Amino acid sequence: MALSRSERHELAKGLAFISPWLIGFAAFTVLPIALSAYYSFNDYPMTRPPLYVGTANYVDLLHDSVFGKALFNTLYYAAVALPLAMITALSLAILLNSKVRGQMIYRTLIFLPSLVPAVASALIWLWLYNTKLGLINLLLHRIGISYSPPWLSDTAWAMPALILMSVWSVGNTVVIYLAALQDVPRELLEAAELDGAGVVGRIIHVTLPTISPVIFFNLIMAIIGTLQVFTIPAIMTQGKGSPDRSLYFFTMYLYDAAFRYVRMGQASAMAWVQLLIVLALTGIAFWSSKKWVHYQGK
Amino acid sequence: MKHVKPVFYALLIVPAIVLLAFGPSSVAPVPRGRVIVDYWEKWTGTEGAQMKQIVDDFNNTAGREKNIFVRFVSTADIEQKTLVATAGGVPPDIAGLYDGNLDQYAAMGALMPLDDLAAHADPPITAQTYKPIYWEGCHYKNHLYALISTPADVALHYNVKLMRENAVALRAAGLDPDRPPRSIDELDQYSLALEHRNAQGNLDRAGYLPTVPGWYTNQTFFWFGASIWDAGREKFTLTDPAVLKAFDWVQSYSRRLGAKTITDFKSGLGGFDTPQNEFMAGQVVMEQQGPWMANFIYNQLPAMDGLKPGEIDDPSQPLAKRRARMDWAVAPFPSADPALHEVTYCAFDTLVIPVGARHPKEAFDFIAYINRQDVMEKLCNLHSKNSPLAKVSDAFLNHSKNPYIDVFEKLARSPNARILPQVPIWTEVDDELTNAIDRIALLKATPLEALTQAQERLQKHYDLFAARQRQREAERK
Repeated sequence: MALSRSERHELAKGLAFISPWLIGFAAFTVLPIALSAYYSFNDYPMTRPPLYVGTANYVDLLHDSVFGKALFNTLYYAAVALPLAMITALSLAILLNSKVRGQMIYRTLIFLPSLVPAVASALIWLWLYNTKLGLINLLLHRIGISYSPPWLSDTAWAMPALILMSVWSVGNTVVIYLAALQDVPRELLEAAELDGAGVVGRIIHVTLPTISPVIFFNLIMAIIGTLQVFTIPAIMTQGKGSPDRSLYFFTMYLYDAAFRYVRMGQASAMAWVQLLIVLALTGIAFWSSKKWVHYQGK
Repeated sequence: MKHVKPVFYALLIVPAIVLLAFGPSSVAPVPRGRVIVDYWEKWTGTEGAQMKQIVDDFNNTAGREKNIFVRFVSTADIEQKTLVATAGGVPPDIAGLYDGNLDQYAAMGALMPLDDLAAHADPPITAQTYKPIYWEGCHYKNHLYALISTPADVALHYNVKLMRENAVALRAAGLDPDRPPRSIDELDQYSLALEHRNAQGNLDRAGYLPTVPGWYTNQTFFWFGASIWDAGREKFTLTDPAVLKAFDWVQSYSRRLGAKTITDFKSGLGGFDTPQNEFMAGQVVMEQQGPWMANFIYNQLPAMDGLKPGEIDDPSQPLAKRRARMDWAVAPFPSADPALHEVTYCAFDTLVIPVGARHPKEAFDFIAYINRQDVMEKLCNLHSKNSPLAKVSDAFLNHSKNPYIDVFEKLARSPNARILPQVPIWTEVDDELTNAIDRIALLKATPLEALTQAQERLQKHYDLFAARQRQREAERK
């Protein structure tokens, strides 16, 4: 259906007003994505024209031990940190949702770490984890544990230390859960209570199904976030992922390949592999959501 | 009502345009009519401010005469920003890169060769202008790609006071407390005699540790007379016996003390630019350091220089007098083979002109100004570093802020002075070495295992890099 003159005029005005965003999106998102797809099939050291190499960048990744290690570290981190953070955030939200004295103070305290910039967090945790002078080992000594774990300087301890640290910043997720928990219909909870359901029963059979769309949303965001982990380990290890690359993650390698080794073609290939992994995992999450996510009115 | 909309739009658009045109700007005003040369430098803080002094000197003297104004920008991650800006066609006119970037950037065609500009400078800058090791370092494949802003070399810094305080233990071990070690074997013996553990049995003072501060552990092979790169054959030689011996020596400290003992000890050390620095705090008696250490000691712990609170060091005093009051001293770092004298690693900060720079000639005028003997000595003295130039004045040698500058000068002229291997994938080599040394020091792998893996990986990457360079050349022809 053809637009009337005034509608065309309105459309033109609307487009003109959103044009800064449209131009920005095209120039800084669509174009780089398209170019990265193109570069992933080229050798591209940025200062020379791209040289077509076919699928060599992708094939090389298959035989690259550092890529394998970075991928393993990332998946390991995601596999442990993601459920740990989800469970911790949900548990804290349920606790904070109960009517206790000082509820606002607890909520503030839980949310506060989320306001600390990632760089500051990394520096704080570097000191907390310090083997000799760190507060954590000091507390361990106080409770009678004389062994001082070398948190960030031993390959066996480094990853658990980072995973433990990821729980520190669940404040944002807690707030989202908290909002969802306030929307759980009181009548459903009361009905379950009348039917003899205890606290745990009410959580499992009423609360969790009701807030399952929010859990699903947080799961998707967490998958994307954990698979792109970069800032904290990069700062804590000065970009090296040491010791013995035990904290070297996918995105760190991608950054090194692009800007330090200047292999932009290989880095682009890595970015596409990363996208495919994220897509696959979110796809699995969407597929499984049919079984456990319940939308109101459906 | 008819005019409301246009007025509303005008109220939105006009102030925006006015703000854009005349609003606040972070760019400092420059004198009218001068050619503006943009200079990006890695230094921040004190060293950045000192370089700014030199830039201001230029702008007020030679720059004024030549109608050039250098706009100094101090920025972190200089190498990455320079590369991206160069690739984008908007590079600075001058960039202060690290020595490790030079070959990589030159090979990628990101830097302008400076041979002609240097040859036609007044006076010409030639091989005779520089100490040979630094001149070599400024070249890649026989072309000059950089000149130096400030250089450095590495020497043994030792705590004289602690050596004297532990004279009994040193003598008991058959060592002379009044001189530094002269071989790697002796260094190990000194280190053992100077070690101290607290009541709980934890190490609280190390004589020497190859991984503290760890800035030059990757270059340990220099002091074993070894090389990791055969430029003629374009092959890495990481598994050569002398290289393995060097890194086995690094591992020997972990074997003797325990890897965890060392990592625990290192975790308790303070920041470099603080009075808690391990060398200043006396937690490590001997350390590999560059000439800037004198600056940091003077600024952070003047008491270690034998100065009272508020007292200022007077470089016009005789060297012997200044050295006598100091608790620290400098000597060449000993080598494994005592016949191999005055071995050092020469590092340097470069000044390069990226390809696509708008004012290469004017940029080189500034670089040439920095390389004037008087200017270079002023800058190097501010940074407490040695000079890259062949000629140095007596005043520089005898009255520098660094009372041991003559040691660094002598080391830089030594036939055993070394620069980083001129490999165009040095960043990767450095990362691989760091990781291999991590595994070696943590006793996760033998030097042979760790270095074999690094060798295979690096050779593969270099071969691929070289093959694609050749392919590009062939396509260009």
